[in-house]
Amino acid sequence: MSGLEIGGFGFIVLLVLLAVRIPIAVAMLTVGLVGYFVIAGPAALLSYLKGEMYWRFTTFDLSVVPLFVLMGQFAAKAGLSQALFKAANVCLGHYRGGIAMAAVGGCGGFGAISGSSLATAATMGQVALPELKRYNYAGSLATGALAAGGTLGILIPPSVVLIIYAIMVEANIVTLFQAAFIPGILAALGYMAAIAIVVRVNPRAGPAGPRASRTDRFKALLDIWPVLLIFVLVMGGIYLGFFTPTEGAGVGSVGTFLIALSRGGMKFKDFIDALMSTATTTALIFLILLGAAVFNAFLGFSQLPLATANFFKESGFPPMSVLLMMVVLFIMLGFVMDSLSMILLTVPIFWPIIAVLDFGLQPEDLKLWFGIITLIVVEVGLITPPVGLNVFVINSMAKDVPMIETFKGVVPFFISDGIRVAFIILFPAVTLFLPRLLAIE
Amino acid sequence: MAEPKEEHNRPTDLVGRILFRVSRLFAIFGGFVLCAMAVLTTLSVTGRAAFNAPITGDFELIAIGTGVAVFAFLPYCQLVRENVIVDIFMSKTPFKWRTFFDLIGNFLYVVIIILMLWRLPLGGIDLYENDQMTLILEVPQWWTFPLAILCLILLLAVNIYTVIRSYREIRLNRTL
Repeated sequence: MSGLEIGGFGFIVLLVLLAVRIPIAVAMLTVGLVGYFVIAGPAALLSYLKGEMYWRFTTFDLSVVPLFVLMGQFAAKAGLSQALFKAANVCLGHYRGGIAMAAVGGCGGFGAISGSSLATAATMGQVALPELKRYNYAGSLATGALAAGGTLGILIPPSVVLIIYAIMVEANIVTLFQAAFIPGILAALGYMAAIAIVVRVNPRAGPAGPRASRTDRFKALLDIWPVLLIFVLVMGGIYLGFFTPTEGAGVGSVGTFLIALSRGGMKFKDFIDALMSTATTTALIFLILLGAAVFNAFLGFSQLPLATANFFKESGFPPMSVLLMMVVLFIMLGFVMDSLSMILLTVPIFWPIIAVLDFGLQPEDLKLWFGIITLIVVEVGLITPPVGLNVFVINSMAKDVPMIETFKGVVPFFISDGIRVAFIILFPAVTLFLPRLLAIE
Repeated sequence: MAEPKEEHNRPTDLVGRILFRVSRLFAIFGGFVLCAMAVLTTLSVTGRAAFNAPITGDFELIAIGTGVAVFAFLPYCQLVRENVIVDIFMSKTPFKWRTFFDLIGNFLYVVIIILMLWRLPLGGIDLYENDQMTLILEVPQWWTFPLAILCLILLLAVNIYTVIRSYREIRLNRTL
């Protein structure tokens, strides 16, 4: 067999292993190790393994990941979702569908200091679901809005998935965070628009709540100062280049810890809880990273990524149709896989293809644009059946809403995602505006 | 990336309970290392901003800390079954079949860690013999290898335990 055939065969074996419940990281490691052995020989493999695991884990580039995870865990303990939802609710609650919009707004605010979708959906769900029920919101709208709102945790930077993408394509994390900001805000606005349309069609799905008094409004808005402080300090500092993402995440961890402590959400048990959640999340991410590194080392040897890239370059397919094919494939994979594994599995093949096609963009801009598109479409997988994780998290909190209702409730948000992806594909400027603006400074 | 399902994934048999305790301790240790890294960066940033005196070479300590923490996190994650799987295609198959493939997955993980445990110390010895140090702080690079190896030994024990746990689950036809 030629290297290419071995590479292709390895890929198929990997997919089979994944289908039969072998943990993603273990499957990648197994195929990667065997493939490496077959192509490069035992001596090369054994010498590669001496350092691979150690150096993969002991790198400064990746240190930002566990620190952002830790920061998100502390933020979840600080009761900030409560304050965010309340502040959004006093401004929007008296409109039709306003309380659901407030839930989305709260998710957006939380997403600006947290890098995880599930944590965002879960913490905001606890706060907003009881309110939505109290005002007789339809179960489908309430749970759908929160499941979709949760994806803002990843879409609005900081974002763990985006960091991984940046490392894979050797892009600058800071410019990627900048690039993701406007599309993230658009996502929140798009979800609110989806709610507005749903309640226009069916006014009973989201009745208006009471209007808050001016003092209440003022008080609630004042109460979100910790979120603003953390956001300005951490993300502001990163965007404007005062410190590196790792430093930002470190400062943010200390900051969110202190806020949680001052608000009484950081008893010793809470602290240990936060550490344990950080431990499992970090371990599973890094194990998949190691698996992907070994698997991609094997794929690199097999020359498969290079060959596919050349094939697409010479085939004369219009670049846009190739990109659309990838988007469709991402959405299909999203039905069965989590976002991180999807990115690690596909980007090593997809990025070289995108890089050789002519989209009329500079290489650095292309990285940003493709990264944001990828980020959005892989996150759609979190709300689509049958394994939309956000949907499961929210549905398990709303005991009286059947799963099918939640999936129905997600449809308008799915459409909103589709429109946004099309918009961002057609207008790269939406993504590139902020990085350019901040680069001039 | 779910919350830990610690409560219902806590082993009930003696060996499992001991492994759980030890892995949990390791994970907490890793968590404290992470917190120390956060404090270190904060001090460094504050020092740089306020007194123009950053902590030199802090990023080297951060890199080393990340490695130590991740190694310490691995056993716990495996023991509480948090490693990500694609669950969709086999969700309807009988329990015994699903558990059979879990056993294969756990077994493959055992083989991989044996391989790593064989190679990793050799990498550490190479660094020791070459006297390799970090650039600025000149921390000997081999220092954290013994710790990493210790974590891998615990991970191997946990992995072997999970293989046996899967086997017993198949025999008993229920989750342990």
